[in-house]
Amino acid sequence: MKFPSRSFLTRLSLAALLSGAAGAQAAEPLRIGVPVGLSGANSVVAPGVVQASQLAADEINAAGGILGRRIELEIADDASGAVGAQKAYDTLVFQKKVDAVIAMETSAARNAALPIIARGKVPYLYTSFYEGRSCNRWMHVNGWVPEQQVAPVVDHFMKTRQAKTFFLIGSDYAFGRGMLKFTREYIEKQGGKVVGEEYLPIDGSDWTAVVSKVRSAQPDALISSTAGGSPNVSLAKQIQAAGLTMPYGNLAIDEGTAKTMGDTAAGMYLSSSYLTSIDTPQNRKFLDGLKAKFAGQAKTANEFSAAQYEGFFLYKAAVEKAGGTTDPAKVVQALSEVSVDGPRGPVRMDRQRHAALTMRLGQVQQDGSIRILQTFDQVDPGAQCPDLK
Amino acid sequence: MGLLLDILSTAAMLFIVTAGLMIIFGVMKIVNFAHGAIITLGSYASLVVTQLGLSPWLALPLALAVGAAVGVGVERLIVRPLYKRPLDAILATWGLGIVIGQLITMAFGREVQFADAPVKGAVAFLGTDYSAYRLLLIPAALLVYGATLLLLNGTRFGVRTRAVIMNENLARGLGINAERIRFATFGLGAGLGALAGALITPLSSVDPNMGLTWLISAFMLVMVSGHSITALLLTCLVYGACQVLVSVLVSPILGGVTIAVLAALTLRLRPQGFAHD
Repeated sequence: MKFPSRSFLTRLSLAALLSGAAGAQAAEPLRIGVPVGLSGANSVVAPGVVQASQLAADEINAAGGILGRRIELEIADDASGAVGAQKAYDTLVFQKKVDAVIAMETSAARNAALPIIARGKVPYLYTSFYEGRSCNRWMHVNGWVPEQQVAPVVDHFMKTRQAKTFFLIGSDYAFGRGMLKFTREYIEKQGGKVVGEEYLPIDGSDWTAVVSKVRSAQPDALISSTAGGSPNVSLAKQIQAAGLTMPYGNLAIDEGTAKTMGDTAAGMYLSSSYLTSIDTPQNRKFLDGLKAKFAGQAKTANEFSAAQYEGFFLYKAAVEKAGGTTDPAKVVQALSEVSVDGPRGPVRMDRQRHAALTMRLGQVQQDGSIRILQTFDQVDPGAQCPDLK
Repeated sequence: MGLLLDILSTAAMLFIVTAGLMIIFGVMKIVNFAHGAIITLGSYASLVVTQLGLSPWLALPLALAVGAAVGVGVERLIVRPLYKRPLDAILATWGLGIVIGQLITMAFGREVQFADAPVKGAVAFLGTDYSAYRLLLIPAALLVYGATLLLLNGTRFGVRTRAVIMNENLARGLGINAERIRFATFGLGAGLGALAGALITPLSSVDPNMGLTWLISAFMLVMVSGHSITALLLTCLVYGACQVLVSVLVSPILGGVTIAVLAALTLRLRPQGFAHD
């Protein structure tokens, strides 16, 4: 690529100055990096996240942009992993020089990205749920952590279903183990008992031995945290085929998967910060916007896409609150203070860079739709980053 | 009792998944690494049957037919030139597996999908409530075993096939058309692979990689048992039992590698497997 000469650039900026402030702003859009896993493990959810980003950018631009500057998206594929994330972030931060990164990614990709973000000093908004306790001066998180997701399921099983003994099932990887470790601690703190905890390798689909152990342990309730997709499905099928009927809470299922599973998922409990059936004007606006923009191509909205959508409005609010500057340090400070009322309800990332979220306990119905049983307002994420200033 | 049924049904599943691979390996001496993709193909046959709203039982003949059709096509176009180059055949079939997987992704999408199961829930059996479909897999495996045995030992095709297995040059000398035997055998093996896919679908998910998880275990079992279908049945029973016992008594994670470890040990002690000449 040939770079424009310096004198050309000088003339350009002079022209911009002469044509007045409005002209200069119009010529200089705000670039927002959106690295997502278009390939690899996240490739099923990533297209929905991109759609939500495009919708948010369109809405903000239609309303005059941020400080009169248009938003321009830089979408990059992080291949759902660390190596791809390094490439994607190097490109976004140092070549495209984005003003902020708003990203739904795997934990591996996030961990690989953080050093690059810190070196480039870019405000970073992480919009996926994750295992918690990832702390960085430049990062804010608006997805849930285990403290917020597990409690509704366990509390409901103990109070409404009188469950005392629990059996935990997971896929053998960081997120699966992390979630169940937290679940075990939480159950024990509430006075319940964990009578079994079993894992299968992440690509395992033969749950024979685990199902037998559940059968002989006779727990009052089951809680699982498998890798998304096929392990989740094969476990649900094999539990159902074995005729196990105790309440079953699934920490790793999303609404779209539950829908396709039909009566295999019927009766299953899940806990989520977002369900499409949330009945608020904000959520209706979000869903209608997706439908209007993408028509038949629109992906089912989920926790990832709703949080991603809100991320753009949080960034907009932060830039405005910071006194109309995109200065990274000031924007990051403002991100901890601003609040947005989005499809998931009010979100403010003021709890050590994390957000208190309204969580919904849902139960999958026979037709695959999800009924919201209980809403838990503004569940606190707990002490995630106590050392972060 | 539940443990015994776990062992029997696991062995049945292993046998069903492995039979097609063994038939091809026995006759051709090449390992069909596209077997995983062919299993996947069978499970998408179940999906199509579900989407058309037909009885889930129809998935079985459909899978068998689709698998056999793909098998003969593949034999004719890809495998036939490679009989003298078994290592290249491994590469070619591995690549073919990737191609089939990608074609499935393009046609049906990447996401996990659902096919209806013919039998649901649990039944009371010998004092325990056990998954009805898993129980059904045991006679299904015996049926596959019986049919294959009958085909190989009770028919003229079987006699010729065994002749090709034992001594191909001599068989050719006797006027047996070895090419045609291979053509038919590859179709049969692929058909059985796809049938296996349709049979395990009710216990697993339908996604473009579902067959791959079975490929390694199937490969190990075939290497150990050689080219006798009876040896394969026994190997599946013994190794399946070990897998279930390790999973239940130690940990399911170790259970997942039991077959691979046992197969490696067996081949160390008896490199020719159980049923090689």
